[in-house]
Amino acid sequence: MRSDASVQGTVPHTAAVRSSGARLFFKRLFKQKSLICMSVPFVIWIFVFKYVPLWGWMIAFQHYRPNMGMFDQEWVGWSQFRFLFEDDSFLRVIRNTFAMAVIKLVLGFVTAITLAVLLNELRIAMFKRTVQTISYLPHFISWVVAANIISTSLSIDGGIVNQVLMWLHLIDKPIMWLGVGHYFWGILGISEVWKDVGWNTIVYLAAMTMIDPSQYEAAEIDGAGRFQRILRVTLPGLRPVIVILLIMNLGSILETGFEPQYLMGNGMNADFSENLEIFVLKYGISMGNFSLATAAGIFKTVISFILLFSANHIAKRVGDERLF
Amino acid sequence: MYKRNRSPGDVIFDTANVLLLVLLAVITLYPFLNTLVVSLNDANDSIQGGLYLWPRAFSWDNYHYVFKEATIFHATLISILRTVIGTVVTVFCSAMVAYTISRPEFVLRKFVTIMFVLTMYLNGGLIPNYLLIRDLHMIGSFWVYVVPGIIGVFNMIVIRSFIEGLPEGIIESARMDGAGDFRTFMRIVLPLSLPALATVALFTGVFQWNSWFDVFLYNSQDVNLSTLQYELMKLLANSNSNSSMTSADAFANSANASANFVTPTSIRATMTIVASLPMIIVYPFLQKYFVKGMTLGGVKG
Amino acid sequence: MSGYQVSAGVLNCKCLQKRLTNYLERGTKHLDQKKLGTLALIVATAASLAACSGGNGNNGSGSSASSSESAGSGSPSASASASETASSSPAADKTPVTFTYFNANSQVPDIDSNKTEIGKALEDQTGVNFKMQFPVGDVNTKIGTMIASGDYPDVLAPDTAIDKILDAKAFIPLEDLIDQYGPNIKRVYEPYYNLMKQADGHIYFLPFSPVVGDYIPNPTIDQGAFFIQRRVLKEFNYPKIKTLDEYFDLIKKYNDAHKDDKLTGFTSLTYDWRTMGIFNPPMHLAGYPNDGDVIVDMQTHAADVYSNDDVTKRWLKKLNEVNNEGLYDQSSFVNNYDQYLAKISSGKVLGFFDYGWQADQAIQNIKKSGNDDLDYMPLPIVFDQNTKDQYLDPPSFVDNRGVGITTSAKDPVRIIQFFDNMLKEENQVMIQWGFKGETYEVNDKGRYYRTPEEIEMLKDNAKQQSIGFTYFNYSWPMYGGGSTLSDGNSFNAGRQPEVAQASFTEGDKLILSKYGVQTFSELFAKPDDRPWYPAWSISIEQGSPAEIFQQKSKDVKLKYFPKLVLAKPDQFDAIWNEYLDAFNKLDVKGFEDTLTKSIADKIAKVTGGSSGN
Repeated sequence: MRSDASVQGTVPHTAAVRSSGARLFFKRLFKQKSLICMSVPFVIWIFVFKYVPLWGWMIAFQHYRPNMGMFDQEWVGWSQFRFLFEDDSFLRVIRNTFAMAVIKLVLGFVTAITLAVLLNELRIAMFKRTVQTISYLPHFISWVVAANIISTSLSIDGGIVNQVLMWLHLIDKPIMWLGVGHYFWGILGISEVWKDVGWNTIVYLAAMTMIDPSQYEAAEIDGAGRFQRILRVTLPGLRPVIVILLIMNLGSILETGFEPQYLMGNGMNADFSENLEIFVLKYGISMGNFSLATAAGIFKTVISFILLFSANHIAKRVGDERLF
Repeated sequence: MYKRNRSPGDVIFDTANVLLLVLLAVITLYPFLNTLVVSLNDANDSIQGGLYLWPRAFSWDNYHYVFKEATIFHATLISILRTVIGTVVTVFCSAMVAYTISRPEFVLRKFVTIMFVLTMYLNGGLIPNYLLIRDLHMIGSFWVYVVPGIIGVFNMIVIRSFIEGLPEGIIESARMDGAGDFRTFMRIVLPLSLPALATVALFTGVFQWNSWFDVFLYNSQDVNLSTLQYELMKLLANSNSNSSMTSADAFANSANASANFVTPTSIRATMTIVASLPMIIVYPFLQKYFVKGMTLGGVKG
Repeated sequence: MSGYQVSAGVLNCKCLQKRLTNYLERGTKHLDQKKLGTLALIVATAASLAACSGGNGNNGSGSSASSSESAGSGSPSASASASETASSSPAADKTPVTFTYFNANSQVPDIDSNKTEIGKALEDQTGVNFKMQFPVGDVNTKIGTMIASGDYPDVLAPDTAIDKILDAKAFIPLEDLIDQYGPNIKRVYEPYYNLMKQADGHIYFLPFSPVVGDYIPNPTIDQGAFFIQRRVLKEFNYPKIKTLDEYFDLIKKYNDAHKDDKLTGFTSLTYDWRTMGIFNPPMHLAGYPNDGDVIVDMQTHAADVYSNDDVTKRWLKKLNEVNNEGLYDQSSFVNNYDQYLAKISSGKVLGFFDYGWQADQAIQNIKKSGNDDLDYMPLPIVFDQNTKDQYLDPPSFVDNRGVGITTSAKDPVRIIQFFDNMLKEENQVMIQWGFKGETYEVNDKGRYYRTPEEIEMLKDNAKQQSIGFTYFNYSWPMYGGGSTLSDGNSFNAGRQPEVAQASFTEGDKLILSKYGVQTFSELFAKPDDRPWYPAWSISIEQGSPAEIFQQKSKDVKLKYFPKLVLAKPDQFDAIWNEYLDAFNKLDVKGFEDTLTKSIADKIAKVTGGSSGN
C-alpha cells in the first residue's frame, strides 16, 4: 500500500527506488513462502494468546473492580505506581530483589556449567549417568518441602549444619542462621543451587553433544592437558548457549520468585528476605488489589526490556551471538 | 580413539572430581530420600519431627489415602495424555519456528524473533487471560492444556541456538538438492537436533506433568478433565481441613485421633513421590540423548 | 480454611498467596476454625430415622397452621418442638433437581450431597440434590474469575470474598423469598435481621451464627490460653495460678529442679500468618477476649490498638526476662509451623501460649502417646490478681460470612425451600447429631449422648464424610454454635456435657477433679456481654488505609519483637522506644477510628434489633 502511494507521489525518483525495494521484498517474501507458512501462523497465535490479553494493563491505572466492565472503572492515573515507588520499604525491596537476582544468576550459571564440565570429565559412563540423575532429583521437590528441610538443617536445636560446623570447631555455639538478616541472601543462593543445579546442567550437557569430537582430538595432538581442553574446546563450544541463556535470564532478572523467600523469611531476616514479589503479594494480591499487582508487572516489564535490549546489544558487539 | 596414559595430574583431578561429585550426589539425594521417608512414616508420628533417613513408624497409610479414590487413576491418564500430546506439539512447533528464525535469509526473521522474545516478559494478568480462554470456548475442554502453550519461547530459542550450531553446509547442501524448507526441517534439522529436542521435551514434559493451575482455573468443573497434580492438590487441601476442622472439637472431645489421620506435611511428601516418580522413570530414556553425546565429546573411557 | 493449605504442587506453589491472604484474615480463621471444628466433631447421635420420616410426613401433609405459629413466635428462643417446626409451603415441589454449590469455607472432597446419609435424607424430603464443590487453589482467584465472567454456581458461600460478591451484585435479595417460603428461616434469623441487612436494606445471604435458645459455651478450650505441662502442676501439687508471674515462676521452679532434662521453658509460634502466639497475649493478659488488633473499652466502646501500649511492653519485658533466665526458646522466631508442632510434640516444652485449634495436632500427638504428665492444661492467665480473665468467646454473630443464592440460580424458590426445610429443628438435630441409634442415643430423661463406640467410630474422617457431617454441619443456614434445642439438649454434640465427659481421658478427669471442675472451660471466667464481638470480624475494605495499617504494623512487630525479647535486659527500653517510633509512624489513629466507628455501627444494629423484637 505504502509503495503504491509513493509511486503516485511527488518525488518519482525515490518512489521508484522504494518501489523496487518493496517489490524485491515481496518477491523474497513469496520465495520464502514455506518459511512463512512455518512461522506466521504461530505469530498470529502468539498475538492472540500473549498480546491481546495486554489490555489488562489498563487496570494498573484504575481502581479495578472485577464486576464492572473494563471501561467503566474508576481511573486513578499513576497512583498505583506512586504507592509502589513511594513506599518506605521500596528501595530496600528493590535492593533485595537485585541482590538475590545477581547472586542467583552468577551462582546458578557458574555452578551449572562447572557441574556439566565435571560430569563430562568423568570416565565411567554409569557413574556419570547416576550422578547426573541424582543431582536433578531436588528439582521435583516443591519449595514447601525443600524449605522445611532447609530450616530443619539450619536449626539451632541439633540442625545438621550447626552440628558439622561445631564438630569442625569452626563455631563454638550454634548459629541461628535464619535469624540473621545478612545470611539470608547466601542461604537463599545456596539453596537455589542445591535445588536446581542438576536441572540447569541438562541444557549444557545437551550443548556439549554438539561439540565436534575431532576438536578434542586436535587439542590433544597439540598437547593440551585436561584444563586446556576444557578451556579451549568445551567452554567455547558452550558459549552460544551460555550467552543466549544469559541474555534471557538477564531479562527476567526481577523474577526472583517468592516461595523460598516467603517460606524461609521471618521477622528477623525480613529486611533482607523481602523482595518485589513478596511486596506485591502483601499489598496487591492478598488485598485483592489487582491494579497494584499489574502496575508492578508493568514496572518489571520495563526493567526487563531495558536489560534485555542492552544485553543483546552488548552481546552483538562483543561476539556473534545475539538473541534477536 | 585415543588412548593416553594418565598423568599424575589426571589421577589427582579424577579422584578429586569423583569425590566432589559423590558429595554432590549425597547432598542432592538427601531431600528426596527424606521426602520418601516422611511419606512412608505414620503421619501422626511425623509431627514429632526428627525423621531423617529411615521411617520411625512405617506405614502405607499416606499412600492409601492418596489412592483411595478411583478418580486419581483417570486423572493420571489425563496427565499422561496432556504430557504426551502437549510435549509433542510444543516441541514440534517450537522447533519449526526455531528453524525459520535460524535461517539468515528469512526476511521476517527479526520481526518474528522479537514478537516471540518479548512475550517472555509480558503478562496481561489473570483475568484477561481467563476471559480470552472463555471467549475462545476452551473452558471445559482438554485443549486448554495444549493450545495456550504450543510454543515455549524459551525452548524455541534454545533449539534455535542448537540449529545454528549445526555444522555449516549441512542445511545448504540439503537445499542444493532441491529440498524445500519444510522438507529440510523434517529430514535434516529435526534428526540432527535430537539432544536439543530431548532437552526441550524434558522441560516441556515436566512442566505439563506438574501443571495444575490451569486445571483449577479452567476445568475444575469437570472431573473428567482433572489431572493427577490437581487431584493431589485437592487431597492436600483436604488433608489440611481434615486436621484443622477436627482440631477445635477434637481437643474438646479428644475425638480427633482418628484412624486415617493425615497431615499436610505427610501428604505433601507422598504427593511429591507419587508425582515425581514417573518423571524419574522416564528420565533415563531422554537422558541417553545427551549422555551418549557426552561420551563422544568428552574423555573416552 | 486455607492457611495450611498450601502449595503443594511439586513445582507450583500458587497457594502460598493464600497463606498470606490468610494472615490478613487471621481473626476470621479463629472463628471459622472453631466453628467448623465444633461442628465437625460433634458428630453424633442424631435424629432417628423415625424422626426423619416423621418430619417427612409432616412436610408432605404441610400443616400450614404450624407454619404460621412458628413464624409468629419468631424469637431465637422460640421453643418450637420438632413437631411444631414450621413446614414450608403446602404444595412444595419435590421433583428431583440438582443445584451447584461452591463452598469456599472448607476444603473437603467434592461430592453430590445425596451421596451422604444426611444429604440423602434431605433429598428424600425435598427432591433437591447439591453438587458441592470446594476450592483447591486461591479462593480470591476463583471468585475473581467467577465475577469477571458472570458465571456463578446456584449457591455460593464465598467465605472472605463475600465483599467482592456483594460488590458484584451476584447474590439475589432474599427477604421476599423468605417471607413467602421460609417460615423456619424467619424463625431462626429474624432477630438478626438488622445485622444482616446491607446498606441498601436487602438481605443477600444467611450467616452461620444465629444463636437459638440459651448459649452453651464450649466445654474445652479451643481458643486462647496459656498452656502448661501437667507434670509441672503435678510436681507442685496442683497449685492455683492466676498471674503471668506465677505462671513463669512455676515453670522456672520446675526447670531448676530438672536441669538435666534439657527442657524448654516457653515457646511461641511466630511463623507466617500464625503470629497470634506472640502478638495477642497482651490483650488476653489484660483481661480481654480476642478482638484482634484492638482492645475495646467496655464503657466507651473505643477501639485501642494495644501493640504500642504498656500491656505489650509488659508482656515482652516478661519474655525478655524469661529469655534471660534461659527459659525462652530462641528459635521461636525462626521456626515454622511444622517445627513448632514437633517441638511441642516432643514433650520437652513446659509452657506456651496458643489457640487450642492451632496447637491441637501436637497436643493430640501427646495424648496418643498416653503419658499424661506430658499433656497440657489450659489456664486463663492474666497480669494481675484482680483482673478478670476473658479468654472465652462471648456469643457472637458474624455478619460477614454466609451462604447466598446467586443471580445464576435456576430455581431460587426450590433452594430457599430446601434451606427452610433444613432449619426445621429435627433436621438441625440430624445435621449435628446424626441418626439415633447410630451416631447418638437418647436416655430416659430425653438427654442426648454418645456411647464410647459411637465416639470412637466418629473419629474416622471417612465415616464423617459418608454420614455427611463433613458436608452439612457448617456452611448452610443453621443454628449458630452454642445454640440450645427446644428440649434443652445442646445443638452441638461437642458442647453437650454428656458427650464432652465421655471423651475425656483418665488424665483429663484427674486434673479436672484436682481443680474441682467438670470441664476445662469452667476454670475460665464467664464471658461478659460484648454486642460487637468479635472486632476482628469487622470487614475492612480491601486495600484501604486500615488494611494497609494491619499489614505494616504486622511487619513492624515481627521485626522488633524478636529484638525486644532476645535483647540484653538493659537494652530493652532503648529498643522499645525505637519500636514505638517505628510503630507510631503508622496511622494508628486512623485505624482505631475506623474500627471504633464500625463497632459503634454494629452495636447500634444489635441494640436496634433487640428493641425491635
